[in-house]
Amino acid sequence: MSTVAASRPSLQEEVTLVELVDRVLNKGVVLTGDVTLAVADVDLVYVGLRLLLSSVSTLERGAEDAA
Amino acid sequence: MIGAEAATALYAYAAVGPAGAALEGDLPVGLELIGDDEIAIVVERVSLDEFAEESLRENLNDRQWLESKARRHEEAVQALLGKTTVIPLRFGSIHHDRDAVGAFLDERRSEFRQALTSLQNRVELGVKAWLVERPAADTAAPAPTTGREYLNARRRARDDATQASGRRAEILAAVHERLLSLSEAGVLNGPQPPELSGRDEVMLMNAAYLVRIGDDRLAAEVGRLSVDEIQFELTGPWVPYNFVERVS
Repeated sequence: MSTVAASRPSLQEEVTLVELVDRVLNKGVVLTGDVTLAVADVDLVYVGLRLLLSSVSTLERGAEDAA
Repeated sequence: MIGAEAATALYAYAAVGPAGAALEGDLPVGLELIGDDEIAIVVERVSLDEFAEESLRENLNDRQWLESKARRHEEAVQALLGKTTVIPLRFGSIHHDRDAVGAFLDERRSEFRQALTSLQNRVELGVKAWLVERPAADTAAPAPTTGREYLNARRRARDDATQASGRRAEILAAVHERLLSLSEAGVLNGPQPPELSGRDEVMLMNAAYLVRIGDDRLAAEVGRLSVDEIQFELTGPWVPYNFVERVS
């Protein structure tokens, strides 16, 4: 029916990591306040992300070195 | 020993509205609503073994753990897309219990109400642009034989690259303007590094646009966009992640 819908990567079965970072981890309403546990501390997520980024690039570098 | 009972918390994925019994039936297994017919918070019971502060610090460093939880979060909100209006919360919103979630909802109710009105029947579409490298065509140029020729060649190459990059920036600015005119709002996010994108090509543009459900104009336009060295990619529809921050 709609060619547009067909050409679009319709709701991806496998959402890429980049999309998850773009949306789930970087966007959305941020909660603050005493009702949340300390774990909702947003900084923690950023810490995790920085490590995630560095661990991924370390992996890639490792792969390149091995190649 | 009531340890097993105490060791859980509620992970809040989104605020949704209208909610109510009909929506309850649409929820993926494991999710529940806390709230009322007007607005409810979508939650899932999670283990404090994973989400308590100490464990979380460690788990956030575990790429697989982080990715699987982010994926779960994404699936939970996407499952509600088109069934009600969804205001996604950021990753890792953990509450002690139902009372805490209820208190959170009451505290933010007026903001959520406003957002639900402005986001009703809207979805987000993602547009990314990639630089598709073409093989260099300048192999015909004679190799420099003098220092001066070498420096000139270097300068020309640098000027060409600067020009090409300026031209691409103009093209992308025009594309963004065009897509803004076909949407209700748009944001330009920073391009993601190749380590995350999983692609060798350089990401030039990373945008998101808010459109009405059923409005295919922006998607159609992206399908028509064609520039030699720039490839455009459309993603979504998504719940409006990029258009809720003004809520907070």
